Amino acid sequence: MSRREMLGVGGALLLGGGIAAGLRIASGRERGHRADVFIGRAPDYYADLGNIVQLGLSTLGIGRGDIRGKRILLKPNLVETAPGQSHINTNPAIILAVAEALRRLDAREVIVAEGQGHQRDSQLVLDESGMGDALEEAGLAFVDLNHDEFAAIPNAGAWTDLAPLYLPNTLLGVDWVISMPKMKTHHWAGVTCSMKNLFGVMPGVVYGWPKNVLHYAGIPQSILDINATVKPSLAIVDAIVGMEGDGPIMGTPKEVGCIVMGRNLPAVDATCTRIMGLNPYGVPYLALASGRLGPLHETNIAQRGEPIAALRTTFAILDVPHLKSVIAG
Amino acid sequence: MFNDWEDSLRDRLNAAAIPDGGWGYSPSAAPCAEPTALSCLALSPRGIEADVVHRGLSLLARLQRPDGSVSVALNIESPCWPTGLAVLAWSLSEGNSAPRYRPQTEKAVEWLLRNRGKATEPNPVVYGHDTTLTGWSWVESTHAWVEPTAYAILALRAAGNGEHPRVREGIRLLLDRAIPGGGWNYGNPRIYKSTLRPFPGPTGIALTALAGQPGDSRIEAGIAYLGHELLHVRSPLSLGWGLIGLTAWGRRPDDASVWLEKSAKRALLGRPSPVNDALLLLARSARCPMTERSLGVATTNG
Repeated sequence: MSRREMLGVGGALLLGGGIAAGLRIASGRERGHRADVFIGRAPDYYADLGNIVQLGLSTLGIGRGDIRGKRILLKPNLVETAPGQSHINTNPAIILAVAEALRRLDAREVIVAEGQGHQRDSQLVLDESGMGDALEEAGLAFVDLNHDEFAAIPNAGAWTDLAPLYLPNTLLGVDWVISMPKMKTHHWAGVTCSMKNLFGVMPGVVYGWPKNVLHYAGIPQSILDINATVKPSLAIVDAIVGMEGDGPIMGTPKEVGCIVMGRNLPAVDATCTRIMGLNPYGVPYLALASGRLGPLHETNIAQRGEPIAALRTTFAILDVPHLKSVIAG
Repeated sequence: MFNDWEDSLRDRLNAAAIPDGGWGYSPSAAPCAEPTALSCLALSPRGIEADVVHRGLSLLARLQRPDGSVSVALNIESPCWPTGLAVLAWSLSEGNSAPRYRPQTEKAVEWLLRNRGKATEPNPVVYGHDTTLTGWSWVESTHAWVEPTAYAILALRAAGNGEHPRVREGIRLLLDRAIPGGGWNYGNPRIYKSTLRPFPGPTGIALTALAGQPGDSRIEAGIAYLGHELLHVRSPLSLGWGLIGLTAWGRRPDDASVWLEKSAKRALLGRPSPVNDALLLLARSARCPMTERSLGVATTNG
């Protein structure tokens, strides 16, 4: 089956038809895909996040031998700011906790980098989100990926016609990319988590504000292409307070109280979707990723730490036709 | 007579110029069209800065493709959204260098007049704007957005095409994309039932491009939004464009110089950014640098 033909399967799922049939196809397609996902309970941003992250890393088998000497890029989800709306962006406390944990494991360098899709002014976002002060205090450099130098890289996914992909040199120069999104609903994609977060590595100078080229190429397909090409090493999701309803910017805060971590991003996002009380196979980009970039099926994901059921809380979704499939049946 | 911070920014911007011509987004980076165009506009084409400005204008010419468009950087064919900025630099950078680039300007103008954003079927349930207006896009064959449309309007006006139907349509697009409560963001006033938030930078850019238009409640709301928002914004990009926009409408705040100094002093402590440095220098003028020659819009306060 060609990738274009496989895309057709994703498209059928996208339209919300034949979910059960899709599940059967997916479970077969996922044969051989296994992943561990860790869920750590964190009731608020004052919790000992460092300990939770360390526990997550060790549970996932990530130790000093994996991190020592590595240059690591943390990719938060910074979008825009508004007074009292801190749930739009990844909380700085989690970024600092992860950076500290990686430094303790002898990472050579930890940097934070983002290329916002709407708000071009990174300095403004850093100022108003509190991220700038937090990074400065921790001695962490921030790189604006929208205006970084870039290079053409072959599209390792080819689910879109985008070829090559232009990626920032800073991203290409690191050993590990860690996607650090916020757990949110999304008015186009259904759910946005660690995979969709990588839209933010695409330089705005090439792709615009918004990165409209990726919308025209197909959001699910673009997400897969970027993930297949960037090959992120780890995802750490800020699910302490997420966003429900009209995400990714206009939704309301949703307390969940956990951090979700894993090395396989489709598995992490599928787990997050289940925590959100939603159907991972109804999220088009996840349906497309199933068995290609990782597993979604619960039998293929080894759940570590807290069980999903202990944290599950149903996220409200916009009442629009293309998101019906996201609602768990 | 410049203030200390102005001298320091000028020195830093001069030092960031690439020997072969132009500026990158950071001093060690390869040259790109946007930082080059803005730096050429911010520095004087006469005296000791004449050489770097000339080499910058020349770099913009090297970035021009056979069809007249100007690419973002040397290592990529497209997108060509900086074409409007290049025309502005070639047209408004005063002195002997301007006529030298008349052929490049004419070709770029032709491209701007040919190039359109992609219109889509109206869908008022989803979008709060008129999706049939074409304007200008960031990337060819995609939808039009505020910033590239504003650059194209400014460029066409500076090149003497201010009454062209494309400019009039671009102005309609900008007014249509205004957020009901005041201001602009990248170009989406509403999605589904949510009115989106304005940003100071795009608001300043839109107001600059709309300078000289008849009074309109959307323009007044944008000016009011910026007047309030800039009280606490000190990032160079947003403050710079915000003040340029207010200046274009003769509404430069009394404290503009104080805000600029504060922003510049912090910027001078950090990593150099030619775009930010150029915008702070452009915003220091009590006359709008993007419109004064084509419209004669100016203010004497600030």
